Amino acid sequence: MSLLTSLARLRALEEGIAQPVATVRHCHLSARPMVFVPLKLSGEAAAPLAAMLGTERERPRLLVVTQPRNRDLRFAWAAELAGVLLPYIEGFLADTETVERRNADPYERAMDAPQLIVPNQGGVAFTRLLGRSTRFRRPDGPYPVPESVPVLGRWLTYFGERAAYPGSALMLAATEELGRHWASGQSGLEDANLAALLAWITTGPSEEAEDPLVWPPAGPATDPGFDAEVLAPAIESGKPERVAEALRTQLEPTWRLMWQAIDLLAGLPEGASAAQRWEQDRGSFSGMATHLAEGAPPQARRDGAVAAAARLARMERAQAAYDVQRAYDDPLVMAEYRLTGEAFAGEVVETDPDNTEGEGRSRKLRPLVVIKTDDPVRLPPGATLGTPQRRAQGAELVSAGEGLVTVKITKGMGRGRTAAPGAVPEVGERVCYTSLTDDFQGSPQLPEAEATPWTHGGPPQDYVPDDEDAQEEWS
Amino acid sequence: MPSERLEAGRPAPRGEAMSTQHRLDALRGTTPPRPHDARAIAALAANPGCSRRALMDGAGVDKDAAARHLGFPAPFGQSPFAITRGNVFEALVKADGCAELLRMLREALGLPVAEVAYHDVENVGAHLRHAHTRALIDRAATGGQDAGTLYDHPLLTLEIAGHTAYLEPDVVAFQLGGRFHIVEIKSFAVIDGQADPAAVAAAARQAAVYVLALRTLLEELGHDPLQVSHDVVLVCPENFANRPVATLVDVRRQLAVLRRQLTRMTSLDRLLAALPEDVTFDLRPDEDGRPTRPVAELADALRGATARYAPDCLSTCDLCFFCRDEARQEGACDLLGRQVRDELGGVASVAEALGLADGTRDPAVGQEEIARLLRNAERLRRECLT
Amino acid sequence: MSDRLDDLERRIDELRAGVRKAMRHRDPATARTLRAELRSAERAWDALVSGEQPEVKAEPPRLVTVREQVHQGLRLLGAAAQPRLIVAVSDAFFGGTIRSAQLTSLRRDEERSFRSSPHGRPYYLCAALTDRLSAARGLLTLSTWPLERRVVGPLSPRVDFLTCAIAVAEHGEEHGAGDGRAARLLVRMARNIPGATDGTFGPPVPGQVAAAARAELRVHAERDTRDRAELAERATAQLGDTARLFGAATLMTIKKENAK
Ligand code: SF4
Repeated sequence: MSLLTSLARLRALEEGIAQPVATVRHCHLSARPMVFVPLKLSGEAAAPLAAMLGTERERPRLLVVTQPRNRDLRFAWAAELAGVLLPYIEGFLADTETVERRNADPYERAMDAPQLIVPNQGGVAFTRLLGRSTRFRRPDGPYPVPESVPVLGRWLTYFGERAAYPGSALMLAATEELGRHWASGQSGLEDANLAALLAWITTGPSEEAEDPLVWPPAGPATDPGFDAEVLAPAIESGKPERVAEALRTQLEPTWRLMWQAIDLLAGLPEGASAAQRWEQDRGSFSGMATHLAEGAPPQARRDGAVAAAARLARMERAQAAYDVQRAYDDPLVMAEYRLTGEAFAGEVVETDPDNTEGEGRSRKLRPLVVIKTDDPVRLPPGATLGTPQRRAQGAELVSAGEGLVTVKITKGMGRGRTAAPGAVPEVGERVCYTSLTDDFQGSPQLPEAEATPWTHGGPPQDYVPDDEDAQEEWS
Repeated sequence: MPSERLEAGRPAPRGEAMSTQHRLDALRGTTPPRPHDARAIAALAANPGCSRRALMDGAGVDKDAAARHLGFPAPFGQSPFAITRGNVFEALVKADGCAELLRMLREALGLPVAEVAYHDVENVGAHLRHAHTRALIDRAATGGQDAGTLYDHPLLTLEIAGHTAYLEPDVVAFQLGGRFHIVEIKSFAVIDGQADPAAVAAAARQAAVYVLALRTLLEELGHDPLQVSHDVVLVCPENFANRPVATLVDVRRQLAVLRRQLTRMTSLDRLLAALPEDVTFDLRPDEDGRPTRPVAELADALRGATARYAPDCLSTCDLCFFCRDEARQEGACDLLGRQVRDELGGVASVAEALGLADGTRDPAVGQEEIARLLRNAERLRRECLT
Repeated sequence: MSDRLDDLERRIDELRAGVRKAMRHRDPATARTLRAELRSAERAWDALVSGEQPEVKAEPPRLVTVREQVHQGLRLLGAAAQPRLIVAVSDAFFGGTIRSAQLTSLRRDEERSFRSSPHGRPYYLCAALTDRLSAARGLLTLSTWPLERRVVGPLSPRVDFLTCAIAVAEHGEEHGAGDGRAARLLVRMARNIPGATDGTFGPPVPGQVAAAARAELRVHAERDTRDRAELAERATAQLGDTARLFGAATLMTIKKENAK
């Protein structure tokens, strides 16, 4: 969290309503997202209790395990879940485009991809565990399960892993995304409560949001009071309808909140780089589908040391790129860097578009721009700069002081003797320069050959699941 | 600032000072003391900077009851499903003469096959359990021929600010070659070698309490306290099966924190000195145990002891909603969490921070840098949002 | 019925509004009371809408009583055992219908019956005796066994477990493994005996399990037999008929010891 966000939180507290910390939406939002609100049985690692899910707000599907201790019912539930999720996921595979790659065969990329939206990080973690507990199952052998269950497990594992990948939008946690765009007047810990966070954003803080009787927790954990007073007696009664109804009361309020969250996010214009990250998501998704179709084994239980290190490095790179892209897309995010002196913005007061350096054949065009700024610039002369206004352009800091910064344009102003029209900012134009750069200019990045197709990185490990994996009881 | 606050800050009259114990008893008043269990003791270390909590715990005040009476019931509760699951798992680990446990100890610690002697301390009446535990542990520490291996349901004690807390671990103390290990059985799953870090941390803190209690016991008996290992055996279900798996967990750090906090609690005099002599946190329960103390009066008394609210309190202290409400009314930056507080570098109130940002307030000495940053941040936000 | 439902729904709405209002007016006490009412109204609605009827539980026809099934299980095991294990054995080999919960009050019933007419039955399901000669928690034995088998020294829980494992293995071998239940029981036991499985995932060989259990048993036998003999002697000397079967009250035992 930055001081800028802290200030927004203070302001929110004073005004009694959340404050924006972004001016554009930094995640792609699907036209047909799959909202998924799972609940688990308290005290168990991954025993599903129920889920409400669907792509239409008026038609939620409710799936319930009416006797949570019954193993067979749990797998039947998983099969039901697969019955909803797999057609949704696979529906995106029909429509594809061919993508050419350097040094590798072209591949087919889905034109659109599925998007799972869960209420919070707990929902992501639970999805991952559900994936872990189902992907090694077998349709044959000693503890057979429906054929769709292990396939579901592999997809859920994939989505769970993808959720941890910075900038990916294949699986979103509502509280995370809301928190990225609004600062509430409460702590980050409390922001994990979807009802509370939404209240801050829409109407102002409400005590009710923390009252499990008014707003049941958004899962996957249930309210202990509900467990004791409603759910346990319902299960005891042996009447499946009663259990289902009880769980419906816990899920429906969250269902409504989820769509409210989506509406709020949809109300923001999409950031310029979101589509590019979504394109990577589509590539990764297609890779995963190919992988599955080729009959590769399920994801390993654990990464080996080398794979883990590679994954970490990939995530760090993705995080860095995501940070830079957000700053370029959104002046309010860029403001954080202006505050620390890594970026500055202001008005162009003087230009020398025909400035050159060197003599004879090595003579180069190096237009100069002088900017007047109120920002504290903490960049040394010679620092490489980029600018959100002209993303293909490269520049270098010449000097800074007394509120004036001189910048030399080094790249992206055309090849002619004089700068291409519009390449050099005019006097009076507002511009922003920053030392943050990312090579996202030019053609959109393609996944590297060895990095595809597996979860946008790393060829899958050789993992041969043994019988033990398949026989593992599901608690 | 409300007047009761000023009064609370008044130095207590010295005179023939009441003994600390006496004063702590007076703080609790007629409310029955709330016995500490290991979980509560482990939680003592959660917010060591909070005087309110130190005093209440020191006096053995039932914080949960106080919070409920104040109209701010704690948001904690345990699901019956979780409780059942915990009990079932513990029974499984201990079933058939601790067959599962023996297997794990043989595998993990190389326990020799001959070492299987099992003593269930609970076989004696409740009032004798502590004495029986002492006798058994003494015999084992002396290294007698017939020393046992597993001790189930031992009853240990620990002094908390002058009160004896009885600890009824659901654990087995286990000794091998004259060294004792605490075995802690928890029902959260270890999946592919990984468990919820928060759950593991809580288990380690709790186990540290038992280690300390057992060490204290050995010391009292004239043995070397270090005969109790700082490596505890954590037993959890593995993956999605019920099959238990044991892991050694080093609790040295938790022990250090715990010891520090307990020492702090024995020096409550300083905190007591800041309270007026007649202050009490008494709930004045009636015959049925229902509190009759006027709520406003109790709230005032509590406000006399300084709190140090942080959002972490929401998961560790029964009083959290009360203290959060207080922090809200005071407009304290603490509400927003440590990160924000640290970022604001010592500017404690929301109004102050915003005043500095708006430029309507002049920075005090030492606040120049944060004031400059805040003003800049405010300028940038305005620029971007209009 | 729908009238009542309507009423309830109206009431629920009112209560919900009430709770909200109380929260707004920072009146948590009222809110709490209203919330409690709300919960019961909702429950009443639930009950009404799902048409709750008095429960009729279809009990399976019980040919053999719980008591007899436990007896059967214990006879097979031949050592003091916990209800869980007895249930598992009964389930695996005798198609048993008992559940652990049914065994909790068994010992007390047996004691009552014994007191009212001592030795009126051919056998009693009774307690195992601790080193204090009190009833050991959660263990069942048979009155027909010699006292040595019914007392628990420090090593006895392990010895009894191994004895039970041998019995299960041998019974399985003689009568065929039957369905999966017997095999699963044996797997569970074998896992905790060194050398009982060869580390592969296949089903354990009953003979190997029994041999491994016997091997470990030999390590403990001498000391355990000595401990048990000593305890049995004390029990014979100190306890009356009832206490010998069902355990002495703890305090009494202690007093006797102190008086010595
Ligand atoms: S909730 Fe209040 S009393 Fe408890 S630790 Fe936090 S500040 Fe202290």
